[in-house]
Amino acid sequence: MTFFEYFQLLFTDYTLRTITLGTAVLGAICGMLGSFAVLRKQSLLGDAISHAALPGIAIAFLITGAKDSNVLLLGALISGLIGTFWIRGMTSKTHLKSDTALGLVLSLFFGFGMLLLTFIQKQPNANQAGLDKYLFGQAATLLEKDVAVMVLVTGISLFILLLFWKEFKILLFDADYATTLGFNTKFIDILITFFIVLAIVLGLQTVGVVLMSAMLLAPAAAARQWTNSLAVMVFLAAVFGASSGVIGTAISASQDNLSTGPVIVLVAGVFVLFSFIFSPGRGVLFREIRFRKNRADLKLKKTLQFMYGIAKTHDDFAHPHAIRILNHFQGYTKNSLSALEEKEWVEIKGQKWSLTQKGFREAKDLYNQQPIND
Amino acid sequence: MTSPQIEIQLIAVVVAIACAIPGVFLVLRKMALISDAISHSILPGIVIGFFITQDLNSPFLILLAALTGLLTVVLVEIIQKTGLVKEDTAIGLVFPMLFSVGVIMIAKNANDVHLDVDAVLLGELAFAPFDRLLISGMDLGPKSLWVMGVVLLITVFLLFMFFKELKVSTFDSGLSSALGFSPILMHYGLMSVSSITVVGAFDAVGAILVVALMIAPAATAYLLTNDLKKMLWISIALGVFSAVAGYWFAHFIDASISGSMTTVLGIVFLGVYLFAPQKGLISVLYRQKQQRTEVSLLTFLLHLNNHSEENERHLNHLNEHINWQKVRAKTVVELGVKNNLITIKHDVVSLTEKGNDFTKLALEYIITNKDEKIEHMKEDFFLFRG
Repeated sequence: MTFFEYFQLLFTDYTLRTITLGTAVLGAICGMLGSFAVLRKQSLLGDAISHAALPGIAIAFLITGAKDSNVLLLGALISGLIGTFWIRGMTSKTHLKSDTALGLVLSLFFGFGMLLLTFIQKQPNANQAGLDKYLFGQAATLLEKDVAVMVLVTGISLFILLLFWKEFKILLFDADYATTLGFNTKFIDILITFFIVLAIVLGLQTVGVVLMSAMLLAPAAAARQWTNSLAVMVFLAAVFGASSGVIGTAISASQDNLSTGPVIVLVAGVFVLFSFIFSPGRGVLFREIRFRKNRADLKLKKTLQFMYGIAKTHDDFAHPHAIRILNHFQGYTKNSLSALEEKEWVEIKGQKWSLTQKGFREAKDLYNQQPIND
Repeated sequence: MTSPQIEIQLIAVVVAIACAIPGVFLVLRKMALISDAISHSILPGIVIGFFITQDLNSPFLILLAALTGLLTVVLVEIIQKTGLVKEDTAIGLVFPMLFSVGVIMIAKNANDVHLDVDAVLLGELAFAPFDRLLISGMDLGPKSLWVMGVVLLITVFLLFMFFKELKVSTFDSGLSSALGFSPILMHYGLMSVSSITVVGAFDAVGAILVVALMIAPAATAYLLTNDLKKMLWISIALGVFSAVAGYWFAHFIDASISGSMTTVLGIVFLGVYLFAPQKGLISVLYRQKQQRTEVSLLTFLLHLNNHSEENERHLNHLNEHINWQKVRAKTVVELGVKNNLITIKHDVVSLTEKGNDFTKLALEYIITNKDEKIEHMKEDFFLFRG
């Protein structure tokens, strides 16, 4: 199947449509809530929580004996929340730092989950197969019912997001101010954390425990490079997330032996790389161009300053001087001279140069400028 | 005990010690999550190494995979240096990408590679004794025991050689570079050792549980002591304990050994987290409660000092004036009486001589110094604490 056949099949094939819709919705909700995780400096929370969800899945299975994905996800949600609040408890009440707390919750919960999973596997009931899909994620196992849950959760979180937009925003950027305004910051904090955990848990089935953190981070990190506005960032991150979901599914469906999760993550990675390099405001490429331009500009002005130093000694600043004498100063080239002429700062006549009125004023005011904020 | 059982426990103990030593420094340097990142991103290195050597325990594979681990560290630093995202975001971006590359490489070559993502991530200690090191037909024991033994020896050797340098650069990198020990060299040295340890251990305990073996003993020890040497010893002891106890627990319920080692570590950590004498949750909460009462008492004493009129000092007005709940007011007043700082006559509270002295000193302290320094004054005056 080629890439284009995939898009043709998309409208007729039930499985493809379900999976694509699922990954797209997942990408959107992860991007949306991931923006908050990134801005709240909780980037690695996703990693920790996705691992911490594993014992929840196992325990939910042990209790109910059912493989209904919603029940398992509920278990995952509960153990994810326990993990989150334990991380908080550790960082606020002991002197363990957040990295240690995250690493502890991640590995200890996961280890416990592994213990339970292997324990379940040895049980004499054949129903347990397929629990390990939560480890690596299998988009192919998505059912229409699962996608419906995803859409529902996305809808609810979008609604909550819009409803508490102002509160989330103020908590994000100035928590102290939010407290003084009388907002219940604890409640808002718990609310947004709850939804971040919810998004993580939702993605487990599709991309798995390990790759979930990238799903949460990558669209947001990419979107962050293009804008300084929270609303635009959230929107862009949702778009990036959804597109990486769709494109990743398309690529993995059109090739043999490609699991969907890793491909989606790599596509999201390409978005990040592209944004890091090409975003006009913060991107590496344009920053380098700006640096070079500034450097060239500075050199030009240095040359002008040197000329001014010579011209100043004459009563008439427009008195022509030989180009030769500039050789003492290393920063002069043919190009910089013609650049200076282009700016109408100097006039070149034969082998002589002279400052213009404009150039003289420019050089004189060079050190007296008010800083200009751009 | 049969001989495979002894061998498994031996491997587990060696792995646990080898992980605990770098783990202490990672936790102290606030880089615990780097171990998580390394443990995932070595996957492509392992896969490429496996293509070449066809042997999971080959030294070449371990070196290649360790290099991938270092690459992760470097990549994270490069991304961080652009200033586009924070460090944690950089970590969170790099390792899933490398991990994805590894997973895809395995999937694409599923027919030629007898390598399973599950095996790399989760490991299986129970199978370790089956892979023997044979030299000219002689059975020298399990391969992974040799691999981890060598890693452990290198780690211990480096630890003894560079203990002072590591210590200085961990706690004061400025002083370290002033003394001429490059903190950068120490940083990359530690990263290399961690990388090699993770790679050597993944086969036995799996990539994610390596993280537990690195962080959990160190974090538990950190809650118990502030002395680096003691912390190292406690971590090693915890690692060994979890290895042996974990093995027998797994044996008992017939489940994954590495999972049960982690669970033992988790239970020990939870216990220490709750009950550690100085830094445990319960003692912290108790101390906070104590401090709250004492601060209230201090406020109350200052209030008494400011007011000579009787109605301000009447017991019934306490909750009105300082806005305390009844219970709170009772504990505070009782503490004051117990410490002989106040006396109550006909429901009117007044300062004793000792109380007067204390209040004066405290007032002076608050004006001239930072008020948290008042702690040692409390020790001088308080027979009973809140």
